[in-house]
Amino acid sequence: MNALADPRDARAFRCVRCGYADGVAELAYAFDDGPELIERIRFPDAPGLAEDRKVVFESALRMLHLIAGVSYYKAGVPPRIEVGTGPLDASTAELLDALYVDGLAEFAYRNGLDLRGKIAFPRAAVPADPGLPSMGREGRPRVLVPIGGGKDSLVVVEALKAIGSESTAVWVGASPLIAGVAARTRRPTLNIGRELSPVLFEYNRIGAWNGHIPVTAINSAILACAAILYGFDAIAFANERSASAATLEYDGQHVNHQWSKGWAFEQVYAAWLRTHVAAGLDYFSLLRPFSELAVTRAFAKTGAAYFDVFSSCNRNFRITGPKPADRWCGHCPKCHFVFLALAPFMPKPRLLQIFGGNLLDDDTRAAGFDALIEYRDHKPFECVGEASEARAAFTALAARPEWREDALVARFREEIAPQLDAAPLALEPWLEPAGEHGVPERFAGALDAIRRA
Amino acid sequence: MNASTTAPLAPDAPWVVLKFGGTSVATEARWRTILELAGARRARGARVLVVVSALAGVTDALKSLCGSAAPERLAAVERLVERHHALVHGMGLAECAGVDRWLASLRVLSQEGGATADAATSQPLWQAAVQAHGELLSSALGAAFMSANGLPTRWLDAREALLAREVPFLNDRARALSAQVQADPDPAFAAALAARGDVYITQGFIARDGDGRTVLLGRGGSDTSAAYFGALLRAERVEIWTDVAGMFSADPRQVPGARLLQRLDYDEAQEIATTGAKVLHARCISPCRRARVPLLIKDTRHPDFDGTAIGPLPPEAAPSIKAVSSRRGITLVSMETSGMWQQVGFLADVFALFKQHGLSVDLIGSAETNVTVSLDPTENLLDSDVVAALAADLARICRVKVIAPCAAVTLVGRGMRSMLYRLSGVLAEFGRERVHLISQSSNNLNLTFVVDEGMLDGLLPRLHDLLIRAGALRTDDATLFGPTWQALYGVSDSHVHAPWWRAARTRLLDLAQATPRYAYHLPTILERAQALRAMRSVDRVYYAIKANPHPAILRALARAGLGFECVSPGELDAVDAVADARESPRLFTPNFAPRAEYAQVMQRGLATTLDALHPLQHWQELFAGREVMLRVDLGRGLGHHDKVRTGGASSKFGLPVERLDEFLELARTHGVRIGGLHAHLGSGILDASHWPVVCGQLASISEKIGNVRVLNLGGGLGVPSHPGEAELDLAAVDAALAEVKRAYPQYELWLEPGRWLVADAGVLLARVTQSKRKGALEYLGCDAGMHALIRPALYDAWHEIVNLSRLDAPADTLYQVVGPICESGDVLGADRRLPNSSEGDVLLIAQTGAYGESMASRYNLRPLADAAVIE
Repeated sequence: MNALADPRDARAFRCVRCGYADGVAELAYAFDDGPELIERIRFPDAPGLAEDRKVVFESALRMLHLIAGVSYYKAGVPPRIEVGTGPLDASTAELLDALYVDGLAEFAYRNGLDLRGKIAFPRAAVPADPGLPSMGREGRPRVLVPIGGGKDSLVVVEALKAIGSESTAVWVGASPLIAGVAARTRRPTLNIGRELSPVLFEYNRIGAWNGHIPVTAINSAILACAAILYGFDAIAFANERSASAATLEYDGQHVNHQWSKGWAFEQVYAAWLRTHVAAGLDYFSLLRPFSELAVTRAFAKTGAAYFDVFSSCNRNFRITGPKPADRWCGHCPKCHFVFLALAPFMPKPRLLQIFGGNLLDDDTRAAGFDALIEYRDHKPFECVGEASEARAAFTALAARPEWREDALVARFREEIAPQLDAAPLALEPWLEPAGEHGVPERFAGALDAIRRA
Repeated sequence: MNASTTAPLAPDAPWVVLKFGGTSVATEARWRTILELAGARRARGARVLVVVSALAGVTDALKSLCGSAAPERLAAVERLVERHHALVHGMGLAECAGVDRWLASLRVLSQEGGATADAATSQPLWQAAVQAHGELLSSALGAAFMSANGLPTRWLDAREALLAREVPFLNDRARALSAQVQADPDPAFAAALAARGDVYITQGFIARDGDGRTVLLGRGGSDTSAAYFGALLRAERVEIWTDVAGMFSADPRQVPGARLLQRLDYDEAQEIATTGAKVLHARCISPCRRARVPLLIKDTRHPDFDGTAIGPLPPEAAPSIKAVSSRRGITLVSMETSGMWQQVGFLADVFALFKQHGLSVDLIGSAETNVTVSLDPTENLLDSDVVAALAADLARICRVKVIAPCAAVTLVGRGMRSMLYRLSGVLAEFGRERVHLISQSSNNLNLTFVVDEGMLDGLLPRLHDLLIRAGALRTDDATLFGPTWQALYGVSDSHVHAPWWRAARTRLLDLAQATPRYAYHLPTILERAQALRAMRSVDRVYYAIKANPHPAILRALARAGLGFECVSPGELDAVDAVADARESPRLFTPNFAPRAEYAQVMQRGLATTLDALHPLQHWQELFAGREVMLRVDLGRGLGHHDKVRTGGASSKFGLPVERLDEFLELARTHGVRIGGLHAHLGSGILDASHWPVVCGQLASISEKIGNVRVLNLGGGLGVPSHPGEAELDLAAVDAALAEVKRAYPQYELWLEPGRWLVADAGVLLARVTQSKRKGALEYLGCDAGMHALIRPALYDAWHEIVNLSRLDAPADTLYQVVGPICESGDVLGADRRLPNSSEGDVLLIAQTGAYGESMASRYNLRPLADAAVIE
């Protein structure tokens, strides 16, 4: 192979072309005149595309191409982005600009880059919308529920069961862990394949920029294509209220580790789908009005079928095993948070059985829990709840006889709690839905199901 | 059947009770076995009572039928009718009136349903009556089949013989579904049966209550029935025929080297059944003990295996621990207060609260200021708020702490206290961990440790091994301990290669002209290398040359396409010294190496592994703009099995994963790329399922780092050392890693095996110098000691030792095999059975190809052992 040029020296990132045939979408990119980077998305057992869906699908696929490009663009972060698949209207270009700046904010921070003002998708005056075909919405909603192996999407699965929706558990990429969890949903499953271009790995080897990408945006775009292909009329994500919070502020920019799970992205992408793909395709997060604590409470009540297979551990999100230690490392912020947030809502012996140990009775984990409650430390770069929720959970445990003597709960009680303002520490306010959300009226019953679980 | 079957029995002919479970009565072939076994006992002059369970699956079907609505009940009954009719025909019976009778009564019962005016009392009794039909049917079928096949067999209704006793405080449900029977020898009943026939078949699981209604005996009910009948008839013995040969010294699924327990006394058997073994329900032992009836557990599929005999203690047996068992999911409640325990009634108040919350306490440990009790894992405990409610009540009178999940590890053996002095190694094993509670029962039969459940993984095999080595589990006593589970049920010996040195014996005896001397068998090493190269999911294999840097081995492995992992400049030089190896890929993976070594190696452009912040903090210029590998320590994890013991703060290897961000920051600052992530999984791992999880953790960390292209899983491929241990299934490892590769296709996977490649290929040859008797011990001295092979002294490693001069002579003498070094730890093998050996005999110490010669020293200024290579 010829020596690859370092993408960091490239002048332009080119979204070259995209196409779909026989269940496989091909998305091609390049830096300058370098080799094509081709990503393939495989839709298993995809039915043929009906004639009246073709235009709609084409539109969703083009957007997928541009959104998924973020994985490749970031390798070089060149000054110019070129789009070879036709002109973009202003709202599309704006969505993409925001995605590339805010979705890559953590990546930029980590690599000492600043992308603000540097990303401009080409836009052109595009003729008015030709009029979108409406998606059929007869009968019960047909919902795609992306699952990730953790508790949140399982709360969504169970809430949708409660209102009788026809849901299908869907995930992208190979993951024995998620497959194991999906099998427990007793719902149809759909595993979409995604193959990154091997050229990207080659670029990484020669020192390309690397880091966090807004993967939820990519999955959203893949699922929009899947919804049209397989005939679903809703996509129900499981992102909570706290996903919208910035993880830290850096040089005047809010860096949100999970920006594409946030309310801002949800609104703009849902609106884009309504105006550019199909007015009847609902894209929303069912958990948006809920806190992490409200979600863990619902999971403790409705998730018994998953207790021995689910995992939210960040050290291990694809591989599974029979022992708790195979699913929970016990050391990462996610393990700490999920343990803490479930504790007020679950019989203690059951929780300890799930994790195979008691994370709150171990002095060596003090620093990890301190970080969660922002005691002496700032919030770690992981998808965990707000510090105040963690504090509320600690406060609840400190009052519980079966928990209060455990090493870290006792420490919280004696050393930390006296330093905190007592007012916001109550658990109950966290359990009520609040704030904006985009859950369509026809799914309102599912919100109730979560609240009343 | 031969004539003796029908020869009349003496009036005092003994009774034998045979019990068969659900799978043993589900097919015609299995019924033939029952027929043969019963016929043989009758032929030998015994009266026979066969106790049977329902056909496999039928009790569950009847149970679920009880919870169904009427139409579904009838459909379920029809399925049972079909199944039993099919078996009647399959067994060559035209019809079976007994079976039809019980099918008819089952139909009637299920039509009626359980709800009557007084549903609360009738429902459990109705359920009992319905469920009893499983056994009524199977026994009726058996009576017809055996009688039709030459062994006249009378059908006995168990409810005539077994009367449930009144137990105070039992609720109606327990009274109907978990009844107990007082079974004392009843000569009149035995005589009456004997007068009517020689061979009987009856039902397990069922009895009658004082009003003549059907009740059930609960879990393990059929075994219990057999024990009751054994006691009633004062049988010569009760035989429990099942799918395993008996009780073992540990759970064979965890400890393949567990030994069959050939003889147990009643108390030991009861203790083992209570603390873990599933083969026999603990309840069935006490009726037999009271009536002094021996029990025998046998394997239906292997009647030739000895089985476990449970009876009065053989008086000649030495005290020995018989079994080590474990139970998971235990919750401890620790209650602490100062001075209150002395107060009259305080403990009574505490225990009253447990009773009030419906919790039954198992183990208790108490001290001046603390009482800790254990609770078994029940659904109530796990899924209700009972623990929270109990803790709230207890908190009013003392400080409460709820500790879970715990596991109880129990050593069982009569005379436990007299064996304590042998348990120091075992105690040390526990001493490393948090022991929450130790309990030693006053019956002197058990010693129980309650520890964190996570500690259990891998613990039982280690304990079992330690107990044998400590002489506390006397596996050398062949009257008590039978073969290992592995030997009985594991891979048959024909699959295990005979070691290469058997065939090379003459050559080795020749090489033993000069001793001590190592001999290395290159074909064995090449075979291993090829097996590794054939793993599809592994992209590159580096031989960890510290295991054995012999030039001939390096040459052979270089030719086989392996790379080399070196931990010092000296090892790099050793590779350079071998012409064939100079072009091979190599990896420098030192630990706490000085700056100069890194400088030298980076200059040569070799792949180098860092495992600390220090080099990037202080020697940046060596690494700036370069690529390094990073060894991380994934930490203890929750499991904390021995397999990750190289991880955690107590190990000096690896960058703790919590400090990864600092390392990445330094790397960014100095333009250092991280090309690979390395974690050592531990060593001696024989379980393939261990790999994907750790590899998955590494991969998910790598994704966050970016630029990583290699995951180096280190070594750790285990080599079985004890006889009967299963080999690592390399194909299973390959398949497990392939799954990781599917989830993380961007990474190359590397392995760095050392011991796995060379251990089996090497032997150490030594000559016997003399023998010495001291007290009960016979020492056998040889010219190889800890200077030649330090692993036994350093790691307690076990190496097989044989007398090569007398290879197939009977091993009749128990030796302590020792070397010539002036250290009391200079023992190569303790308690080894060898042929009676003489000065000049050649001993072979096996599996010494790894960390043998390479760790040898000139301690005591004895010369180094040399080495010979067998091509």
